[in-house]
Amino acid sequence: MHRRLTFFLILIVTLLVQLTVSPEIGIGSVRPDVILVVTLCWALLEGAGQGALFGFFGGLLEGIFSTAVLGVGAFSKTILGYFCGELRQRVVSKSVIWPMIIIFFGSILSELIKFSAWAIVGLEERPPLSFGIIVGFALYNAVITLLVYPVISRFAEREEKAMMFQ
Amino acid sequence: MIERQNQRQRILIITLVIICILLVTVYSRESKDGLFHRLQRFSMDIISPLQKGMSKVFSPVKDGIGFVVDMGKARGERDRLQEEVDELEEKINELEEAERENEDLKSMIAVQESNPDIDFLVVDVIGANPDIWERTIQIGAGYSSGLQEYMAILSEDGNLVGRIILCTSQASIVQLITDEKSSVGAMLQENGEMGIVEGEGGDSVRLELLNQDADVKMGDVVITSGMGGTCPPGIPIGIITEIGERKADLSIGILIEPEARLTRLEKVMVVVSPPPSTSPLEAEAGEKGG
Repeated sequence: MHRRLTFFLILIVTLLVQLTVSPEIGIGSVRPDVILVVTLCWALLEGAGQGALFGFFGGLLEGIFSTAVLGVGAFSKTILGYFCGELRQRVVSKSVIWPMIIIFFGSILSELIKFSAWAIVGLEERPPLSFGIIVGFALYNAVITLLVYPVISRFAEREEKAMMFQ
Repeated sequence: MIERQNQRQRILIITLVIICILLVTVYSRESKDGLFHRLQRFSMDIISPLQKGMSKVFSPVKDGIGFVVDMGKARGERDRLQEEVDELEEKINELEEAERENEDLKSMIAVQESNPDIDFLVVDVIGANPDIWERTIQIGAGYSSGLQEYMAILSEDGNLVGRIILCTSQASIVQLITDEKSSVGAMLQENGEMGIVEGEGGDSVRLELLNQDADVKMGDVVITSGMGGTCPPGIPIGIITEIGERKADLSIGILIEPEARLTRLEKVMVVVSPPPSTSPLEAEAGEKGG
């Protein structure tokens, strides 16, 4: 119960930050995807199943509160959350550098998945694919991981302690 | 246990992916008034007041980021403009140089036209003597170009500069009229009174008139007399700027300011014809004779 509540709270706060703060801290046309960053951090700390679930709900809510094609964001974040969670067993280091690197490449993959999905559903008004913007987006996400990862890991640790106490 | 958990996770991811695909399919097939589109509009109405509030709260941050981004752009723009300014300045310098050269050539042509009996050779000045006690310059032509010692040297505007005192195959040394060892036969343009112009070692030259009672006044123009055979007659030397008191030997100290800009020579004109009639030995013997 406690675990679900933490999950839900983090999800709502992340959604609010994504919808309100993220557009305000954009550099040029590049804005960070806080939901993607938190999804991947959560997946690295909690595992594949949790990562997939966070990505699914985060992407779904983001889609509902925007004009994007509903389900595309959820699709990419679910897949990336799952595979990032799978990486947890392979990354031993506790350094924040690894999450940053994973989130950098995860962000690039996320955009490529989005563009592919848009192409598959035949979205007519697709933005032009710009690798410069994608790399800038990935870099921005990697940088904010420095702030997000320690916060999420603290919640995950508390969760583990609570479970141990029980 | 772990195997069962993995299986559950796989089922979960497959289920979620299928839901996503269904959502995308339904969303992209439904009309603008469909359920999901209406849900999006409704959700945006709910969140928009919050977004407006946050936009106000974060406006300083946004401005700060904008400032930093603009600074980067402004630096790039500044560097680009600086390069452009440098290029334009270079072009202006080139044009000014070309204009000056054009003016010099015009004045040289004018000198040539006003002296049809004299042949000139235009030569670049390539250096000056580092010795402060000698007023000489080096020009970029020597006997291989037809030059020889004691040839007269004129400035671009046709005023007397000096004469060649040393000639090599590719270069020559020119003794300026201001050099202490220089002496040139001269006369007053006004009344033809003869004299000798001698260097003082400074920026001016001194005129020694043969007739001590000659009528001389400030501003009189002094020209070459042709005496001595090194300089053709009628070449302007300078203007009288100072007339001193008569000395014990009855001579008058007359100072002349040379017409040629001797400190800013870039090109000079060598009088190649008529050639100097005085041989080096004769000139040496009568050095003070011009």
